[in-house]
Amino acid sequence: MDEQVKSILAKVRSEPPNILKALLALQERLGHLPTEAVSDIAHALGVTTAQVVGVLSYYPDLRLTAPGRHLIRVCMGESCYANGCGRLLRELQDRLRVDVGETAAGGKFTLDTMSCAGNCAVSPTVMIDRDLYGRLLPSQLDILLERYE
Amino acid sequence: MSTATRLYLSNDTSARAAGAGALADAWSEHPEVQLIRISSRGAFFLEPMVERDTPAGRVAWFNVTAQDLPLILSGTDGTPVRSIPFLAQQTRFTFANFGETEPLALDEYQTRGGLSGLEAALRITPDAIIEELRVSQLRGRGGAAFPVWNKWKVAQQTQADEKYVVANADEGDAGTYCDRMILEGDPFRLLEGMLICARAIGAGRGYVYCRQEYPAAAKTLRAAIQKTDEAEWLELDGEPFPIEVVEGAGSYVCGEETALLESLEGKRGVVRARPPYPAQSGLYGRPTIVSNVLTFATIPNILSRGGAWHAALGTEQSRGTIALQLGGRVKHPGLVEVPFGLSLHQVLEQFGGGMAPGSRFKAVQVGGPLGSLFPASQMDIPICYDAFAKAGAVLGHGGIVVYDHETDMVDLARHFMAFTADESCGKCTPCRIGSVRGREILERIQAGSGTIEDLSLLHDLGDTMKVASLCALGGRAPYPVLTAIEHFPAEFRAKLRT
Ligand SMILES: Cc1cc2nc3c(=O)[nH]c(=O)nc-3n(C[C@H](O)[C@H](O)[C@H](O)COP(=O)(O)O)c2cc1C
Ligand code: SF4
Ligand code: FES
Repeated sequence: MDEQVKSILAKVRSEPPNILKALLALQERLGHLPTEAVSDIAHALGVTTAQVVGVLSYYPDLRLTAPGRHLIRVCMGESCYANGCGRLLRELQDRLRVDVGETAAGGKFTLDTMSCAGNCAVSPTVMIDRDLYGRLLPSQLDILLERYE
Repeated sequence: MSTATRLYLSNDTSARAAGAGALADAWSEHPEVQLIRISSRGAFFLEPMVERDTPAGRVAWFNVTAQDLPLILSGTDGTPVRSIPFLAQQTRFTFANFGETEPLALDEYQTRGGLSGLEAALRITPDAIIEELRVSQLRGRGGAAFPVWNKWKVAQQTQADEKYVVANADEGDAGTYCDRMILEGDPFRLLEGMLICARAIGAGRGYVYCRQEYPAAAKTLRAAIQKTDEAEWLELDGEPFPIEVVEGAGSYVCGEETALLESLEGKRGVVRARPPYPAQSGLYGRPTIVSNVLTFATIPNILSRGGAWHAALGTEQSRGTIALQLGGRVKHPGLVEVPFGLSLHQVLEQFGGGMAPGSRFKAVQVGGPLGSLFPASQMDIPICYDAFAKAGAVLGHGGIVVYDHETDMVDLARHFMAFTADESCGKCTPCRIGSVRGREILERIQAGSGTIEDLSLLHDLGDTMKVASLCALGGRAPYPVLTAIEHFPAEFRAKLRT
């Protein structure tokens, strides 16, 4: 087994085993969950491969492929909808020439959506990595994206 | 040497998104400024808001930019906080500390009455705690509005080698943010409420299931847990009461209590059939109280002031205060804590301040993505559980989103169904299949190829989902769609193929 995977899994060992927690810990460190590690993960946790795949496929935040260097998430919740998140998303799709879920050429940005950041009173909301931006206008996107290397 | 002036600036996520973070950076090295990072008052339309002390109380400056510093330091043009109408007209109990304290200052929390609820609970028997909650008539604030004492009684009376207290901090309803504010702004209140619950039911361990979209909330809460642990009040009867923060992974249905428990156990977040209810058999099959963050945060005041105090607020079936969260196209989006019973119109005018500039009212949605839409003609409905139930609507978690004249109701209805189709856990057919069919029909109408039969199909589909779904995701999903069609039929008909 990959040594790094092994050491991360050793830290989240519990009885009974917690598959989601293990996968989140791995993703936190590796950026994504490599498909080839699934059987190792199952073995290390003492569960079946099917159980691991079941959890992996269920949660929207668990990724099988590495995202770009920065993850842009546009909030599609109702307050952001009322405040024009649709325009923001279209603008980002045009600018980055990607669809939702895709990574832009060069691997700098991955574009995604989210359902609510709890920033509804300062919407529309865009989250880039762990930074939150509110009251965003499509015209401000240029300056915003420039901040990211 | 002149001493620096203490300026108060919120560290709340939304205050930072509004510009408080940039202000703090700009002023960080300024010798004349001592910045105190507090919770937010929830008047988000005024953020970033900067305050300073005066003999007559705090004075505030609104929508501050870095260049406003000389004005603030000279003390000119500030507004006394207590004369801000948005705040002055509220009845703040659960949110009384907001804007006043530093979230992680345990001493301030205690000075302002914190921990007196827990102390009161430790002086009486578990039965007496539950009795106090029965008298208070507190109903859960997560959406289902079930009497809190009742669940506690069941969990208390169920024999088991272990029991758990779980705070539901998944806050999945878009348009709601009061749980986030509590986690970030007054985390000790949540922990105090959880400890009172643990004492009442005899639990030995607690969890907070926090949505992944709230990184600052999880971080603050973990720091608060550490502080309470160091201060040695994270214990019951001399035994430690560990509380762990667990983060979710982006699934809306994991806010449903049984799906949440599956997820806490590390499995797929699929809804469990009930009964048994979590209070009887929850996490790892043990009696478990799953309650909303706001519910737990309401409890310390009930113990310190008495159940009768709480029952004296609000309306017949809805006692206490409700935390409304205004969003969408209102002029004044923000948190409003008021006793139950004000009309929707009053809330939107008195607190919301009417529409955002350039916007005309079209509809308002109460209760999150599963909540009904109300047109202008239905704005006199009182905000309380009974009136909403009678109207076939829900208060949910108190989210209120206002849509303006630019909103395309067909697209909005499609948006709702697409959400349900994406988030359905797949356990039951009416929701799993129905939501996908509903989305297809609405996409067809939106594309201009729908027929009048499609509209009746949507009604039939909606009726089936309402009665036959296993949980409220499928059961409530038709409401926003069908109320959109009911109140704006012309928009739907205009798109049908003729
Ligand atoms: C699809 C769905 C999502 C839910 N999401 C949440 C949520 O995010 N937060 C919450 O407190 N309750 C949520 N609930 C309600 C919970 O199932 C449960 O009733 C609540 O946590 C109980 O707490 P309370 O008694 O304090 O209201 C949801 C219910 C459903 C059906
Ligand atoms: S109604 Fe939907 S979310 Fe709820 S149990 Fe059925 S499939 Fe799952
Ligand atoms: S709806 Fe977008 S932040 Fe809440």
